[in-house]
Amino acid sequence: MTPAAYTATEGGALLVVAIVLPVIGMLAIFALGLRRAERIAYLVLPGGLLVALAIAADVARSGAAVTYVLGGWQPPLGIALRADGLSVTLMVLTAVVLCAVGLVARGSFSTPTDKAEARSPMVFWTLILGLWCALNTVFLGQDLFNLFVALELLTFSAVPLVCLDGRRETLQAALRYLLFALIGSVLYLMGAALLYGAYGTLDLAGLRLLARNDLATSVALGLMIAGLMAKAALFPLHLWLPPAHAGAPAAASAVLSALVVKAPFFIILRLWFDVAPQPANAMAAQMLAWLGIASILFCSVMALRQARLKLMIAYSTVAQLGYLFLMFPLAMASDAPTAWESVGWTGGVLQLVSHALAKASMFLAAGLIAEALGHDRIENLDGAMSVVPISVAAFGLAGLSLMGLPPSGGFVAKLMLLTAATETANWWIAAAILMGGILAASYVFRVLNRAMAAPSSNFACKASIPLYRELTVLGLAICAVVLGFVPLQPFAFLGIGRVGLP
Amino acid sequence: MISSTALYGLCAAGLVAIGLYGLVLHPTPLRKVIAFNLLGSGTFIFFGVAARRGAAAGLLADPVPQAMVITGIVVAFAATAVAVALLLRLAESGGSTLDPGAPDPQDDRPS
Amino acid sequence: MTEWNFLLVATLALPLAMVVACLHDAFYARILSWLPLAPVPGLLAALFERGDSIVIAPAPLRLTLALDDVGAMLLGGASLLWAAAGLYASVSMRGKPGSGRFAIWWLLTLTGSLGVFIVADMTSFYLVFSLASLSAFGLVAFEDTARSRRASQVYMALALVGEALILFGFVMLVSATPGGNPLIRDAVAMLSGSPLESPAVLLLILGFGLKMGLVPLHVWMPLAHPVAPIPASAVLSGIIVKAGVIGLIRFLPLEVPSPDWGMALMVLGLLTAFYGVIVGITQEHPKTVLAYSTVSQMGVVAAVLGAGFSTGAPGTATLAAFYALHHLLVKGALFLGVGIVGATGSRNLARVVIPMALLAFSLAGLPFTSGALAKFATKPLFGDGLAAFMATLSAAGSAFLMAHFLGRLRLLANENAGAVPQTSLVFAWALVAAASLVLPWALFPEITSYALSETVSLKALWAASWPIAIGLLMALFIQRIHSIIPRIPEGDVIVLLERLQPLAARCGIALERTDLVLRRWPVASILLLTLAMAFGATLQFAR
Repeated sequence: MTPAAYTATEGGALLVVAIVLPVIGMLAIFALGLRRAERIAYLVLPGGLLVALAIAADVARSGAAVTYVLGGWQPPLGIALRADGLSVTLMVLTAVVLCAVGLVARGSFSTPTDKAEARSPMVFWTLILGLWCALNTVFLGQDLFNLFVALELLTFSAVPLVCLDGRRETLQAALRYLLFALIGSVLYLMGAALLYGAYGTLDLAGLRLLARNDLATSVALGLMIAGLMAKAALFPLHLWLPPAHAGAPAAASAVLSALVVKAPFFIILRLWFDVAPQPANAMAAQMLAWLGIASILFCSVMALRQARLKLMIAYSTVAQLGYLFLMFPLAMASDAPTAWESVGWTGGVLQLVSHALAKASMFLAAGLIAEALGHDRIENLDGAMSVVPISVAAFGLAGLSLMGLPPSGGFVAKLMLLTAATETANWWIAAAILMGGILAASYVFRVLNRAMAAPSSNFACKASIPLYRELTVLGLAICAVVLGFVPLQPFAFLGIGRVGLP
Repeated sequence: MISSTALYGLCAAGLVAIGLYGLVLHPTPLRKVIAFNLLGSGTFIFFGVAARRGAAAGLLADPVPQAMVITGIVVAFAATAVAVALLLRLAESGGSTLDPGAPDPQDDRPS
Repeated sequence: MTEWNFLLVATLALPLAMVVACLHDAFYARILSWLPLAPVPGLLAALFERGDSIVIAPAPLRLTLALDDVGAMLLGGASLLWAAAGLYASVSMRGKPGSGRFAIWWLLTLTGSLGVFIVADMTSFYLVFSLASLSAFGLVAFEDTARSRRASQVYMALALVGEALILFGFVMLVSATPGGNPLIRDAVAMLSGSPLESPAVLLLILGFGLKMGLVPLHVWMPLAHPVAPIPASAVLSGIIVKAGVIGLIRFLPLEVPSPDWGMALMVLGLLTAFYGVIVGITQEHPKTVLAYSTVSQMGVVAAVLGAGFSTGAPGTATLAAFYALHHLLVKGALFLGVGIVGATGSRNLARVVIPMALLAFSLAGLPFTSGALAKFATKPLFGDGLAAFMATLSAAGSAFLMAHFLGRLRLLANENAGAVPQTSLVFAWALVAAASLVLPWALFPEITSYALSETVSLKALWAASWPIAIGLLMALFIQRIHSIIPRIPEGDVIVLLERLQPLAARCGIALERTDLVLRRWPVASILLLTLAMAFGATLQFAR
């Protein structure tokens, strides 16, 4: 039994750079003095973006995945890193969102000049870099245990971000997040142990060749996918997400909602399409989709009933995550030769990307609005339009994408999912997509309506927001809108490296 | 006569069961953290069982799961450290439960 | 490509450019005075541009503009009304708080509403349709009162439902055609015989019918149209509802006889035509009466389309568009006229009310008006049976409703007996009124096989007159029993639905409680373990 051998491709070393660069940044923060955290982060962020773009260019040019085998050791003993079209897309997405968040966070997390060092800026910048390293490892890793370690690194970076301000509620939220994520991790690890016991490897390519339909595999996949759902906060496992994402500082919430919850989902994608024995189990796919439907409907209504802006956005995150889980039955369209050439799969990935951009922008905009008004109660948002018009506009544009109205990435994504649902005659999914759009529009308009109302007489602006921060947020929202101009068909780029290993 | 593999397996299952019970039902966060450690230990023993069964053909004792267990222990230790740090901060700020609305179990004790 | 092609692009680009230019403070301050100019490219395009289609973005995007006769007719009328209403708005809205915001919503709505007449591919159609329907929210919600807030909420909710229905219908249409974004006519051509034909047609009729205000999806219209400022009411009732008409024209395979769907649409349309009259007659405010008249008239248009659809009669689209054009101009002029009456004192009232009466009875098909032409042209589609009789009877209903409208209109007159409206306002109103009388005469020979002389033959005059006489008699009769007829609140059915609000609130609270339970630690963790087991079992045993 020899699992598939990886051959390192030219330029594969860049993959290592993508993972190590943030770590170097973290170490530099400790070595060069915590005061310089922000400056070091501003060196690393564009550098990481360049690396991600370089890898993307490499993949696009060669039309094949970029691979690196650590130390030349083949799996199952060694570890391989591999960037296919999907992972490289998510790496670029991560870099773009983090750069934007970094720009907006300037100001809120810079070390005060009168102090030698301050705790929260140092923690924030270090953790952002740690998070980036973890995300890149998740996207590139080819070994299920390796992915576990990356996920844990991600959780440990994300949890303290939740309680940066040290209030009691946020500490509670962080602890809930950590403990629930840990149950998820243990389930995942048990599944990994089962798979190792059955196949003697945790390498994705190896498992793909070996996977059988037997009890051990089924139980293992059940444990792993459920554990990952807990980390991705799919309804009804969303207990930790609303307080955690709403309590964190806006810049941190943006990263948590846009990127962190996508990582476990990415691993579910890997498990479902790369490891699970093919053809996929239709009933299990339907089960995932039903959880997605429940997520969309339930949490959208909950978002509609929230009194605070950030809680509303947090519930909206759970609802929007639901759309991602619709793609499992939809990717089984009969006319596409492989799952990733189906409209449903492409729509799901596009939803992931456009939601990340839109939600990051929305959280950042909410943060700026709250900073300017001194609160984030939706009922009292009147006057926001006159103080931070650009942020309100960004909120509106991001909302456009969440509602799935044209032109926006969210629209194209939902249109593709809807098309796939129609073609595969999944009428309940189609109904949920449409209903979710209407509900999303209701909660976004509720906010915009208040924000655009004339300010009341005792209105006071608490802080003035520098223009560049507002423009960055608007830029992210515009990215989400511009995604709406992609053609309505599967993209070849996302399929690169997914057929015919190695 | 029960084989040693089965014994280890049963032991792992027992630890996992106790750990899950504590993690799900104990209201105090500190006990949850300890329960998580039990749960983790159970899983690591389970890995050990997988190694003993020697699924990777040809090797007398598979070293890979052992490497994984070591890594896993480090991860679990780090998780415990983060959780305890959070717990301490939480205690300093005067709270001790996970559910914001739930009654504080500490309050039930006669003072 | 002709040298006039750029006009089509400019139709959409100019108003959008104006919106962008509002980022400049100096322009934003004077945006109101630019409003009348925004629809000018559209007007020119309707006059000079024909036939060619312009591909703005190549495949696979295929954003395509094209102007055919039907589109040109409605584009021209709509541009004219937008220009006149823009002129009216630039005077009447000046100095009001929030007028800049109003102008931006105005321009966006304008772009979308002209866009629906000229786009040729599915995605762009959905884009401009949504733009028109969602931006109109800003016009409805402009006066920040409790009444307008309620109206705008109902409007928004139903507009979104309409969007969802149409999107689903489009997806079903497209799923029959290969490629990402087909041209509308290709997609419609592929529809007949596809397994999804029936649900697609149903969704499209519901979605566009909602925009037209077909019963029972009309509830938003009597709420939304009256609360907007006068010029906005004129464009909402005159133009925005036509987005539904053009939708049905473009997306139903009208040339393929479809007895069932055609009959259904016709019955729905006639039902709406009478329903609008019956509820409208109980209304107090002239603007609300006009809104119900729009409901009724759109019912007639739907009936025309349904009648043609059931037999596959050629030219149905053109005739329906002709009727829609007549209604567009007349209703626009009537709404602007309501504003003029409000600014006129009792001494000068006759000079305004007489042309208003002419316009009002034009809706009922008064001889020598556009209404007579429109009814004459569309009559053959109904055949000779019951349908034709009902269609004629609907004209009597219109006369009845319009008599009621004129009766209520006098009450609006300015308290100052000598007051005269501003000249530019009167000019805007007179422009649309004149166009409504003249334009259809110019178009009539082009679109029908009849000679103009036939429309003024004795037989035709008699056919047009007796329903109006009946309508007037009914109006006289109803005046006698005026005090005993029940008042139906604006929006009729919606009032019943609003009774369900406490129930919805209770559901919301129940949902919140459920969420609290689900988010309790033991519940969520047990759910997690259950899910893991259930998922594993499904993978193993359900194949």
